[in-house]
Amino acid sequence: MALAEICKISNASYMRPTAWATDDVNELKSYASNFENPYTLAAPPFANPVENLNKIQANADKTGIKIEFDHGTTTLGFKFKGGVILAVDSRATGGQYIGSQSMKKIVEINDFLLGTLAGGAADCVYWDRVLSKECRLHELRNKERISVAAASKIMANIAHEYKGMGLSMGMMLAGYDKRGPGLYYVDSEGSRTAGNLFSVGSGSIFAYGVLDSGYDYNLEDEAAQELGRRAIYHATHRDAYSGGIIRVYHMTKNGFKVISNEDCEMLHYKYQAEKAAQ
Amino acid sequence: MDLDLARDMPRAGFNFDNCKRNATLLSGGFKPPKTTKTGTTIAGIIFKDGVILGADTRATEGPIVSDKNCAKIHYLASNIYCCGAGTAADTEMTTDLISSQLELHRLNTERQVPVVCANVMLKQMLFRYQGHISAALVLGGVDKYGSHIYCIHPHGSADKLPYATMGSGSLAAMSVFERRWKPDLSEEEGKLLVRDAIAAGVFNDLGSGSNIDLCVIRKDSTEYLRNYELANKKGERQLNYDFKSGSTVVLNKTIKDLDITINIRPVPMET
Amino acid sequence: MSILAYNGGCVVAMRGKDCVAIATDHRFGIQAQTISTDFKKVFNIAPRMFLGLTGLQTDILTVRDRVMFRKNLYETRENREMAPKPFSAMLSSFLYEHRFGPYFIEPVIAGLDPKTFEPFICNMDLIGCPNVPDDFVVAGTCAEQLYGMCETLWRPNLEPDDLFEVISQSMLNAFDRDAMSGWGATVYVIEKDKITERTLKTRMD
Repeated sequence: MALAEICKISNASYMRPTAWATDDVNELKSYASNFENPYTLAAPPFANPVENLNKIQANADKTGIKIEFDHGTTTLGFKFKGGVILAVDSRATGGQYIGSQSMKKIVEINDFLLGTLAGGAADCVYWDRVLSKECRLHELRNKERISVAAASKIMANIAHEYKGMGLSMGMMLAGYDKRGPGLYYVDSEGSRTAGNLFSVGSGSIFAYGVLDSGYDYNLEDEAAQELGRRAIYHATHRDAYSGGIIRVYHMTKNGFKVISNEDCEMLHYKYQAEKAAQ
Repeated sequence: MDLDLARDMPRAGFNFDNCKRNATLLSGGFKPPKTTKTGTTIAGIIFKDGVILGADTRATEGPIVSDKNCAKIHYLASNIYCCGAGTAADTEMTTDLISSQLELHRLNTERQVPVVCANVMLKQMLFRYQGHISAALVLGGVDKYGSHIYCIHPHGSADKLPYATMGSGSLAAMSVFERRWKPDLSEEEGKLLVRDAIAAGVFNDLGSGSNIDLCVIRKDSTEYLRNYELANKKGERQLNYDFKSGSTVVLNKTIKDLDITINIRPVPMET
Repeated sequence: MSILAYNGGCVVAMRGKDCVAIATDHRFGIQAQTISTDFKKVFNIAPRMFLGLTGLQTDILTVRDRVMFRKNLYETRENREMAPKPFSAMLSSFLYEHRFGPYFIEPVIAGLDPKTFEPFICNMDLIGCPNVPDDFVVAGTCAEQLYGMCETLWRPNLEPDDLFEVISQSMLNAFDRDAMSGWGATVYVIEKDKITERTLKTRMD
């Protein structure tokens, strides 16, 4: 740089680290504000989004301005003596079009915390990532893992902050902390409930049917995993917006275990053969 | 036939039985289905010895090309043809109906039907339905009074013109006519002009496409040039995508044999 | 959502060498909920002719019955079998009769002429605009996907067995990308001396 000093060109624009003026940088930052702080999402670009977004959506048929987010899911989770079971399908649909048959609808936030996605796929993935950061920070600050209750509260607070702005999420958080197994339901309306058994998504009514008839707190591990798998399988069979691969996760006091990732088609013909054999 | 015994006997004319039910169904927030549209470039000119009609061959259902080679130049009488744009079923059925009536008219009057007669029948029918039958037509023909091109709009208005275009590609086609049409074109010049006008629609209007049909009507002969030009040939497939026999898993297979021997059994006539 | 997609389902027909094939899925649903998986949308209406109907299920059944009535009346009057071509003309006028209050269906016709055994395929929109191509016709909630599959797999002069593979793979892969169709499929291959009916193994989700 000494040569540049001598030549007196160090102040020339092409010698600066970037050609951008600070004004440009500030402007860029305002467009990408959530890179630095994930909580500052740009609100919809019009006045009073909470009220007006609904008006725009209500007029979608006339205006043709409607975004069909990936939607439709069956997810379930239940507590039993061996921990928590989570089971989900893997279909992502935009309208009636199947966009993916291999989506991961269980997000591994950390070894002791799992989240399921239902509703807007992008919303869930984004906020789960934010949550996973928060959980890690909590761990670093407090030298102990975050409790499921606290983690779900973070999520519920986020949902409440953006209530009415168009977020669409219905998620379960399952984990294991010093209070034992935890299972919470959180959605974009801001509600947060602890419970023993949940099913979320368009196929949940079918899953509940199987779950309620087979559920018992004292199930053995294998029976509980099979119950979750079966409930999702029956939901994929009846619900058009669920399908693909059935993923079963088991949360124990030693962290989560991936039990199985099985294709619906294979399961269908397996169950059919079992039924015929009886 | 006794209608009490066979209530489903078709009656003449439109049937409005489903209207109320459909309105109720659609008020539940369902979108009404799309009908096939021609989304068309059609055109017609008068040349020295008669008229030339032209059309593209694309039919669309919303953004989908539902027919890549449909015929949009419809027969009305041996000396009269008609190009149709708008809802495909409407243009098809309207021209069919008028064609039958013209034939009856010809048999009644025992002489060739003049083109103006077809024009009046078409526009009166379209006016009666107040534009609900969405057919935009270019009618052309030659009779003892000379050569005629009529442009008929869905609401029942009609113009008599030396050259006319209709459909979504009408602007592209008309620009060609406005530049190059002149009275007393030769047949070769005329065919080239109509071809170019339709091609302008095919290549510049998204609703029009595929091939070009022409129809030349002269004083005493008619030539229907179906697929006069194949403007858009499908690409040749380089590889073979055939599946090996047995690729598809079959759960169940039944074969029904059909008897193709014909027995003729004489039946005595009743006396 | 379009009213045509209320119950889901799809049909495709293809022309081969001296044969035709028509395929249907088995789903009958009410929007997202699958009600039954044995509803075939293809009906054998003459020895060598099939009529496929997709769209609103109530109208599928009504149109089938009404059209069968007219066809039987024709056959009684004329004392001969109805060929696919006049049948499609009859169906077309039947649908156009209801121009201003249509049945929410999209028909597909596949068959062989009873005398010449000439293959015939045809489809229409809901108000009876006929389309008679020389390759394939599609209808239903996954029409877009079917168009794509058929355009790549179909070629002229397919023998019956090859035609079966082409139509099956087209349908299978098309409805695997559509939430409203699937849940089993049946394929009919019509030749002049026999009709082969095959039920396919499909995804059931």
